[in-house]
Amino acid sequence: MMGMLNLVLTNISRKPATRLYPFEIREPFKEFKGRIVFDPGNCILCGICQKKCPPDAITVTKADKMWEINLFRCIMCTECVVGCPKDCLSISNERVKTGAKETVKVVVPIVDKPKAPKAASK
Amino acid sequence: MTTVIPFGPQHPVLPEPVSLKLEIDNDVVVGALPSLGYVHRGLEKFIDTKDYNQTTYICERICGICSALHGITYTKAVEKLFDAEIPERAEYIRVIVGELNRLHSHLLWLGLFADGFGFESLFYECWKYREEVLDVAERITGNRVIHSISKVGGVSRDLTKENIDMLLKMCDSLEPKIKDIEKVFVNNYTVKQRLVGLATMSKQLAYEAGTAGPTLRGSGNAIDVRETADWDIYKDLGFKTAVAKEGDCYGRTKVRIDELYESIKLIRNAISKLPNGDIATPIKGFPTGEAIMRTEQPRGEVVYYVKGNGTKNLERLKVRTPTFANIPSLLLMLPGVRLADVPIVVLTIDPCISCTER
Ligand code: SF4
Ligand code: SF4
Repeated sequence: MMGMLNLVLTNISRKPATRLYPFEIREPFKEFKGRIVFDPGNCILCGICQKKCPPDAITVTKADKMWEINLFRCIMCTECVVGCPKDCLSISNERVKTGAKETVKVVVPIVDKPKAPKAASK
Repeated sequence: MTTVIPFGPQHPVLPEPVSLKLEIDNDVVVGALPSLGYVHRGLEKFIDTKDYNQTTYICERICGICSALHGITYTKAVEKLFDAEIPERAEYIRVIVGELNRLHSHLLWLGLFADGFGFESLFYECWKYREEVLDVAERITGNRVIHSISKVGGVSRDLTKENIDMLLKMCDSLEPKIKDIEKVFVNNYTVKQRLVGLATMSKQLAYEAGTAGPTLRGSGNAIDVRETADWDIYKDLGFKTAVAKEGDCYGRTKVRIDELYESIKLIRNAISKLPNGDIATPIKGFPTGEAIMRTEQPRGEVVYYVKGNGTKNLERLKVRTPTFANIPSLLLMLPGVRLADVPIVVLTIDPCISCTER
């Protein structure tokens, strides 16, 4: 019995273990997988990221030069980050905010038309 | 004359929906009939639309609490199909994340259990410690609940020096805290009054009913897949099965507390033996043939069966989860228990209904 009483009494004098969310928000850990960041600079619209993505969060439309991600569908598995041949995708530790825009559309500026690699057609 | 009363699917002690029809005489249970199927999601069929790499992430989503071990078991089963040699470092990282998983699952269970018998402050205490484990897991894997650490061929993230220090620090700080709550669970008069002698299962009966995990070991059967199955790494880490002879709710609680120490020991040993090298090997081609993989989840033994047919999709995935094996034993335990004790007895098998129904 004494063990629990000690715990309870020390807890009374301690500050709470919880935070007063939403006034006090813990900074996300730097290792945290928060969201996918797309850098359109090198993208060749090969579509590998779309094929690798388990929940089909990424849509690549070659005709419109459009790269699209649905952040609410993304499960942060980082398959696309590993799979991208041009290293366009990276992980940021920033959280996707509640009520944030669901999809992010990026028009990819392809300047000189590079040929899509063979692997993409598989 | 007996009366039939429903227990669940919505009940304060049940985080997940399972329904039991309890046949009671006065306030003593004489029979129980379960009905399942409230959270069936058809995940075993869903893999038809995903390739074998993507299936890892589906398997992890079978259950939120033991997700890492689902992922690990699945990837190990698929690696068997490929006869792949996995880097040692990857296996050690899997063990570490798997044991973190067990730590937080058992602390969660201890908390829920304390809540079940009405010990609120103990409940908060356990969950407070669980946060520490979750924070460390989040910093190692990048995700808080669904860790996504294991992939076919290895693991997706390496352990850094910083991670290792963090893990060791967590082990050091957690051990005395577990000792504190152990005293309460094991010695406290009130707790013992509620647990000792409740829903006793003999060693023989627990074995014959095909129970798994701490429910089986709480009845004195020293059977743990970590020791017996084909994942040798645990033997190198000096794993010892935790058992209790009692066979009642008290015994099952003791087993789980002992397993907390065992997990901490395994994490420490894995860190001290952590080899250098790669964390993944590339795996090419499509799987063919059949394979079975068994690992010990927090709730007991999980069995994965995979069958490949040379295409990128698996032909069949079958998961036998520990709670599925434990439900029959629950039905054997319940007769003779008083209605007020039914919630504790149900909790004592650590039911994970989402696992069971997939
Ligand atoms: S894989 Fe990389 S290069 Fe290919 S479409 Fe996706 S982001 Fe662009
Ligand atoms: S992290 Fe995974 S789920 Fe998210 S976009 Fe990339 S592949 Fe899809």
